[in-house]
Amino acid sequence: MVFVNLYRESGKFRLGAVITLILIVIGVLRTPLLNLAVGDTDPMAVGSFGIFLDPTRDHLLGTDRFGRDVLGLVLIALPVSLTVAFLAGALSTVLGVVVGFVSGYKGGRVDSVLRTLTDMFIVIPTLPLIIILAANTRNLSSLKLALVLAAFSWPFAARVIRSQVLSLRERPYVELSKMTNLSDREIIVGDILPNMAPYVAIGFAQASVGSAFALVGLTVIGLGPSSQMDLGRMISEALGYGVISLGKELIFVVPVALLILLFLGLALISQGMEEFFNPRLRSQA
Amino acid sequence: MSESTRPAVPLLELRDATTIFGSGAQETVANDHVSLAMAEAPPRLLSIVGESGSGKTTAARTLLGLQKPTGGQALWRGKDIYALPKRDMHAFRSEIQAVFQDPYGIFNPFYKINRVFDLTIKKFNLASSRQDREGLIEDALRVVNLRPPDVLGRYPHQLSGGERQRVMLARAYLMKPKLIVADEAISMLDVAVRAVIMNILLDFKEQAGMSTVFITHDLSAAHYLGGDIMVMRRGQVVETGTVDRVLQAPEHPYTRLLLDSIPSPDPDERWQDDVAAIARLEEEAGVAERDVVTTA
Amino acid sequence: MAITGKDETMTDTSTASPKPATQPAPARPTAPTGAPLLEIQDLAIHFRSARGVARVVDGTTLTIHQNEIVGVAGESGSGKTTLVEAILQIIRFPNRETHGSVMFTPRSGPKIDLMKTNERQMRRLRLNEIAYVPQGSMNSLNPVARVGDQIVDGMVDHGLGKREARDRVPGILERVGLEQRVAKLYPHELSGGMKQRVIIAIAISMNPSLIIADEPTTALDVNVQRKILATLSKLRDDLNVAIMIVSHDLPVHAQLVDRIAVMYAGQIVEAGDIRSTVKLPLHPYARGLMNAIPSIGKPRERLEGIKGATPSPLSWPPGCRFHNRCPHVMDVCQTTPPILAAAEPGDRDTGDGIVLVQPGREVACHLYLESTPKEARPQ
Repeated sequence: MVFVNLYRESGKFRLGAVITLILIVIGVLRTPLLNLAVGDTDPMAVGSFGIFLDPTRDHLLGTDRFGRDVLGLVLIALPVSLTVAFLAGALSTVLGVVVGFVSGYKGGRVDSVLRTLTDMFIVIPTLPLIIILAANTRNLSSLKLALVLAAFSWPFAARVIRSQVLSLRERPYVELSKMTNLSDREIIVGDILPNMAPYVAIGFAQASVGSAFALVGLTVIGLGPSSQMDLGRMISEALGYGVISLGKELIFVVPVALLILLFLGLALISQGMEEFFNPRLRSQA
Repeated sequence: MSESTRPAVPLLELRDATTIFGSGAQETVANDHVSLAMAEAPPRLLSIVGESGSGKTTAARTLLGLQKPTGGQALWRGKDIYALPKRDMHAFRSEIQAVFQDPYGIFNPFYKINRVFDLTIKKFNLASSRQDREGLIEDALRVVNLRPPDVLGRYPHQLSGGERQRVMLARAYLMKPKLIVADEAISMLDVAVRAVIMNILLDFKEQAGMSTVFITHDLSAAHYLGGDIMVMRRGQVVETGTVDRVLQAPEHPYTRLLLDSIPSPDPDERWQDDVAAIARLEEEAGVAERDVVTTA
Repeated sequence: MAITGKDETMTDTSTASPKPATQPAPARPTAPTGAPLLEIQDLAIHFRSARGVARVVDGTTLTIHQNEIVGVAGESGSGKTTLVEAILQIIRFPNRETHGSVMFTPRSGPKIDLMKTNERQMRRLRLNEIAYVPQGSMNSLNPVARVGDQIVDGMVDHGLGKREARDRVPGILERVGLEQRVAKLYPHELSGGMKQRVIIAIAISMNPSLIIADEPTTALDVNVQRKILATLSKLRDDLNVAIMIVSHDLPVHAQLVDRIAVMYAGQIVEAGDIRSTVKLPLHPYARGLMNAIPSIGKPRERLEGIKGATPSPLSWPPGCRFHNRCPHVMDVCQTTPPILAAAEPGDRDTGDGIVLVQPGREVACHLYLESTPKEARPQ
């Protein structure tokens, strides 16, 4: 209901949602699309086609140095990037919501401990640490990577959620629920949680953007999961083989464009929601 | 009111209730030995009047069990409100209800209006069947002059401030409480609907035997309601009595200042005094602004 | 007595409080004498959103003359704040349509239509010519800057040299009744009323010809409100400034303004000099508002207020926008919108009895309009 209004009123959210949705649909339909693009051929298999072919009807985006179909590569790389971004985003949001909620509602000692912990994680220089971790981990899977990324991005969500809980706790309707003899649990579940939904959604979108960024950062410098192709690794390889100087820009441009679309989509969603839900930014009627 | 008609133990009572917020240099005494008593019968209207910072809202919250006093006592039927066992708490809440200031914030925007009725009925076991429940809600809405289809099934933002405040009164009425604490219940409403809310409280008293503690900064509202009045200034009670006596012959300079400062709706009764003259009156009443105005 | 309280000053004397020193509003001529300063002509502000078109201000005509205090009265949803924001060109809603004009006559230079100014021109006008005191602005003072510096900043922003601006501060503080040392204080050291006077000080710092104040006394204690009213009234005489006061509070208007315009549902429904309008409101809405105010002097009688609620700007009722709340609704009201015009003088049936309508009253109600066919009105 709230989100229907959001969709109707915020152009930014609408655009972001459409972009993100298209990317997700491409990711979900990866098998049939792969079939259309390369048939039964393993898209990762080296030497399936000629090298550095220009785009043709058979190879819409051409082929790369190893004779792999670029469209096929993109189709397997995009879902990997999306999965890691959303998985890390979801994990970090869940962790952040739990910590923020407990901290904000309980208050007192629990709050002090959790806040200190949150602040400690926030001041850790995340990217260098992830680089070191990634460089020293064997068999880094996308799940593990998502876990690592989430471990360092939850504190931001926790902070936002905590301050929201603190403010929601003081709302007059919570007072009314107390006058109606509702228990703490009923107030949390009935009064506070539903009103947190926008903030949780914003947190999720932001955490996903952050994770996608971190993932690209890692894979572009060659520290991503070695067994998998993702958009960052495509960029890294394209740069490594100097495709631009060879006049084969597509191999580089396509993954970059997809990444930009992903960032743009998620950023628009998060901005649209913030403007819609934040009364200070929201223009009044 | 004669002494003989009053039962020994008042329904609701503050005894030297003192509430201090903060400590050290930040310390604010919100309530300073405030005492009042509301008997169960006969029903009665008491207006607590004061300006911002007078402590009237703190007194109201203390009465409602929402703000534990740092000193003195808040008693319901002689028992400490802040140490009630669960069963007594239930009875206390069903006898003492509230209408708050902000008719917008009081509704959780996530839910339809029905929720405030449904929760109240469920939590206080007011109805055993669906029909009972609907009947109760319709009755309560009728008392506050709302038509069920105009309210039920709608979201709070679809109602005006006056309608929402009437929904709050209907909710309180469901429980047939002995006493309603109305904390600035009309201050955020349009002038045209304020009388409607006050009329409902008057009807509650006449027809349903409910008392009201009416918290307001508006002496004319207190006048309209009649009954008794208690004037507060900076946490202390400075004058009490019947509304008619206090407004006709105020004894405390602060009450006089408040009374004199109500703007008359008649342009032929315009104040002629300048800022300095008003400042002198404020000083006399003990509410001079922190930095006294002397020029002008 | 059931109520007891700590009371150090209660005495036995039952001396009645001396009646406050009041007297009739100065007998200003019913018709304004100054030259027109601000002429709002058929102004309409419509907001477009996914839910439809909100006609928040819809055909408003009002003139403010030099050195005149005009009150705009109205409840929430009447469009009064949007009207003010339109004059000042500070509406933030992006999807809006504007019709009509707001002609302003600066002290020097030709008349300009504020609806057609660009941001640069508007910036020059603000504070220099038109000063604005927004609702609740006393809480918008910069908490980490001294009051004096904040007054200086406003003037420097508008092209005054820092030294000259500093030199003006003492005079400005005196005008609004603040002690000189207030300049050295921070906002948190001031009471609400003093902060409001600092805001007014900033407003008058560049000697504007018009001050627009939105609910300047709302949320202030009554004695503080009284001081703000005294301050504003004195400013008009001292500075030869015109003041437009927007307030929902009719007694505030009765205490301060020369003329009043009552807004309902985006339109002005009645306008006239304060005395005749308050003593004999013609429009049933204005009458309802007057009758909804409890008054301490009068005997206690049950007030009914106005039934119903202000309609939504997304769908004003057809015909007269007040017709579904009006106790005197006629057939014509449901179909034909009444246009604000001079009320037909003479004996008129107001619905509550016959009254003598004096010339010079403006009202948007079929009960009084010459343009309304005679047979449509009560006989």
